[in-house]
Amino acid sequence: MIRLLNVSMMPPGVGQPVLRNLTLSVPQGEFRWLLGPSGAGKSSLLRLLTLETRPSAGQMDMLGVSVSHASRATLRNLRRRIGFVPQDYRLIGEWTVFDNVALPLRLRGASERDTRREAFAVLEWLDVAHLADKRPGTLSGGEQQRTAIARALIGRPELLLADEPTNALEDAQARRLLMTFQELIEMGTTVIVATHNEALVREAPAASIVLQDGTIANTDAQNGTSTRRTEHS
Amino acid sequence: MSAPVSPGLRSGSLPLLVALMTLLAGLALAGLSGVQTLAESWSGAARNATTIEIPADTPQLEDRTHSLVQTLNKTPDVTTVRELSAKEVQTLLAPWLGQVSDSAGLPGLSLPVVLIVAHTGTPDLGAIVHSVLPEAVVEEDRRWGERLNGLGNSLIACAWLAVSLIAAIAVLSVGMTVRRSVMAQRKAVEIVHFLGAGDLTISSRIAGRAALLSLAGGLVGLLLLSPVITMLAQRLTPFSHGTPPAASPTNTWDALFATWCGTLHVLPRMLLEELGALPLIAACLGWLTAQTVVLVWLRRLP
Repeated sequence: MIRLLNVSMMPPGVGQPVLRNLTLSVPQGEFRWLLGPSGAGKSSLLRLLTLETRPSAGQMDMLGVSVSHASRATLRNLRRRIGFVPQDYRLIGEWTVFDNVALPLRLRGASERDTRREAFAVLEWLDVAHLADKRPGTLSGGEQQRTAIARALIGRPELLLADEPTNALEDAQARRLLMTFQELIEMGTTVIVATHNEALVREAPAASIVLQDGTIANTDAQNGTSTRRTEHS
Repeated sequence: MSAPVSPGLRSGSLPLLVALMTLLAGLALAGLSGVQTLAESWSGAARNATTIEIPADTPQLEDRTHSLVQTLNKTPDVTTVRELSAKEVQTLLAPWLGQVSDSAGLPGLSLPVVLIVAHTGTPDLGAIVHSVLPEAVVEEDRRWGERLNGLGNSLIACAWLAVSLIAAIAVLSVGMTVRRSVMAQRKAVEIVHFLGAGDLTISSRIAGRAALLSLAGGLVGLLLLSPVITMLAQRLTPFSHGTPPAASPTNTWDALFATWCGTLHVLPRMLLEELGALPLIAACLGWLTAQTVVLVWLRRLP
């Protein structure tokens, strides 16, 4: 469950807030598209939701934890329950693909045997297991993106956030990823995907959070959530 | 090799830096040890001795001297009373009178009687001596000892200051190297942090590497220090009271090592222990500094 109440975000050194008075609620196990033109605040909202920054005003609850005044230890534990596919992949260049993907499980203290099994399962599913010993710098954009997706999925997160997760994928891979998101939702994971890809949104119609100039443009009055349900077939 | 859960340390010139600091610290410690030994010997020699000089023209010199010696022997805390022989007195006065074969060589000059009283504690020997022999001159060596002790303590403080300064420079250097390394890997550190790594998980990996590199640097520094220490030991050999272990006559590496060990034998055991501990101290300082720098740096992340 994600709940934002009048949340604003003003990065240090910036004169005005990049997000203003956001109020939204996403129940556990639901899917949302995060839409809006460039500069609307999608990445800033994702930064808030991945706990890379705290809101400068308002109340923010994630997975049952009040984030606004949470301790560093609480935030650390919360981050381990969140998977994130960044637009720029954020892979550690000095490590192998396997070590990058295994990191979330290792941070949770999983045994090396379990880590290896889980990591290779997800790498094989994403068709990059043969690259396990390679460094990210030697991979193509699509391969790096699949590695980042594997790292986000491996911990079976309760909340999955993805920023343009299909922009370097082929159509078949993108469709497969959407199917994975659907499976995760069925297992109770909340999934929020930011995208510019209208074709993808048409392919998987779902409720949306539409941002415009740092505020929410549409409100779904029915469930009190600032969302817009896309109705493309 | 353990599985990576955090970026490591980019060493840069850390081992070389620590090696040089270890060398400097070793030299400062050797100096400190020398000063300490000197100060202890000064104060030890002077602290518990009193010199009594009885002028040669004192009436009934022999009887009264004998009486004074008996009184002193009965005084609590006095351990020995020794009368210097005429030859010893001549030697004592030689800087002023020149070398003479006997007092007859200096017409009109009679040598005084000199008593050296060794004691424990601080008996008021001046009052005791003057009650028996008012003409006697009592020289409390303790006062000289106190002054020498003060000088020795000042030198020790200077040497400690040098050691502390070197340690401070080492800490600063390690801190700057670690900070540069963290800044260079800022993205990787942030990735790991935002995936849920604890601050200690991140800092411990960097600190562990810093400790290892500091240990290696410390060992290299010790290696660089060994010729200097050997030379120092060779210089001290003539002043050594102990007999160094005999070296094997065969010209093998073992024999050379045995000779070297024999040479080091003259150095204070404490100094050798301190020098041996330098690489470990460097490793501990490296670990602590890296931990502190990384933990402080991580505080800026939410």
